[in-house]
Amino acid sequence: MEQFRRSDLMLLRRWALARLITVRRTPRAAFFTLAFPIILLVLLNSTGKGNTVDVPGGKVDFAQYFTPSIGVYAFAVSCYVAPIFGLATARELGTLKRIRGTPLSPWIYITAWIGATILVGLAATTLMFIVSIVAFGVHIYPHLLPAAIVTAILGSASLCAVGMAVSTFVKRADTAPAIANLTLFPLLFLSGVFFPLEGAPDWVVSVASIFPLKHIVEAFTACFSPYTQGSGFSAANLAAIVAWGIVGMVVAVRRFRWEAGVEDDARRPRAFRSLLQRS
Amino acid sequence: MRGVTSDVVVSVRDLRKRYGQVEAVAGVDLTINRGEVFGLLGPNGAGKTTIVEILEGHRSATAGEVRVLGYDPERREREFRERIGIVPQEGGVEQVLTVREVIDLYSAAYPHPRPVDEVVDLVGLEEKRDSRVETLSGGQRRRLDLALGIASDPEVLFLDEPTTGFDPSARRRSWELIDRLRSLRKTILLTTHYMEEAQRLADRVAVIASGRIVAEGDPSSLAGREVGSAVVTFLRPDGVRLQELPLPEGVELEHSNGHVAFRTTTPTRDLEPLVLWAVRQDRELDGLTITRPSLEDVYLELTDEAA
Repeated sequence: MEQFRRSDLMLLRRWALARLITVRRTPRAAFFTLAFPIILLVLLNSTGKGNTVDVPGGKVDFAQYFTPSIGVYAFAVSCYVAPIFGLATARELGTLKRIRGTPLSPWIYITAWIGATILVGLAATTLMFIVSIVAFGVHIYPHLLPAAIVTAILGSASLCAVGMAVSTFVKRADTAPAIANLTLFPLLFLSGVFFPLEGAPDWVVSVASIFPLKHIVEAFTACFSPYTQGSGFSAANLAAIVAWGIVGMVVAVRRFRWEAGVEDDARRPRAFRSLLQRS
Repeated sequence: MRGVTSDVVVSVRDLRKRYGQVEAVAGVDLTINRGEVFGLLGPNGAGKTTIVEILEGHRSATAGEVRVLGYDPERREREFRERIGIVPQEGGVEQVLTVREVIDLYSAAYPHPRPVDEVVDLVGLEEKRDSRVETLSGGQRRRLDLALGIASDPEVLFLDEPTTGFDPSARRRSWELIDRLRSLRKTILLTTHYMEEAQRLADRVAVIASGRIVAEGDPSSLAGREVGSAVVTFLRPDGVRLQELPLPEGVELEHSNGHVAFRTTTPTRDLEPLVLWAVRQDRELDGLTITRPSLEDVYLELTDEAA
């Protein structure tokens, strides 16, 4: 392993910043990650105004459930879709290969990229919450807030890792959006983002439980429920989220390619290779 | 000791690279000295890019010994990557960042990068300094690639077909840039399809075909190789039959439409009787030319033989 240098922190910051600038200058990305969840939230909450939703322990206001659930949607779109599309594109355009020829550590590039993506996802969720608190009177429980923040960070990181793993299966960048959305949207429906799972058929719950999204939704929405006991940390759900993140990471690292369509033993960073040989 | 300054910058011994059943590089030896501009010429699929990418650390060699600045490129040490510059044949960059931002970002990882504005001026992108990458033309994109390659002020620069897609004036500017780098004693390995470029830029050229070096030398000596010999052509004077002309023995004459041509390695001796005959007859030999093969002719001949 290369030695970690102080300047690496500077590089991490610069590349993360470049990624944030890229998102800001790409109207399509800014719209779908920042604006669209808010539009969805406003439409949904306006139609469901006055209704209640069944949650574990009782009933809550429509907006009190759907704000956190759409909040998960907001960071899921950013954190899961962006790596699939972004990494496949960077690979196809030769950006990854170019970076590999510079002294920049690939870890710094990937970490900056993922970090900025998570930041954008969480910003989208936060923005949406602010709108919801002001417009729909959504209540925040301060004692559950640390759990909400930790859940959102772990959830978005886990989805990022899974997204990176999925991106290694993308052969051509133009198929990336289709692959991302075809895998994400069915799960959004099954996982309680658009319909609460309380009272849903057993098979739906069992299928959804396999995947990370349901656990993220369950853990995160519970942080905004008046019936939640204690600090709101949901150990079982968080364990499932972290497990998925680790699986995603391992698959992403094992299958990582610097270049599109090149089969070569030099394709993986040495650190990756030695890491895998040791394990 | 690795990374030590010496006069040999690139040294390659019996390099081989196999992809499945295909041997893309089949035993190549190369030595490139400090300050030298070395041209690797060859048709598509000859193995040029594979060789360059092995030297850059992008690919591993199947066999052979490779040293660049004393490093084994395959180990891809950070110090090694700090001292080389790469202009890949195709390389993406962040599309919505500006030229300045991209150069600044990519040079941040190097210990002693050139000032960004200096790099922009060197490649002639002054007017596009603050334009986004996505707005650049193909030639401008290529100049940005060049900028990214030299931004770190590298000791060795790998240029994989650096001027493909350039208009003539942009190509000339790049050549001037490479001349400037040469005057700074930078070592440059250049692959190209353009004979003119190799002839103009390279101190030494290797012609590669089917993964092997088929000729090596300085461009002018390569072009003057015996294999090519000279071609003499002239127009048969009116009213004179070919048999009446004092032509050399044993050469293969081509004769059509009054044009006469023959190949010879001794054009001066062979032409003497012919010229004397013309002077005595007080006739002009119209269209008389002696052509030496260009590097391009030699190249085509060599790569044909190997194919």
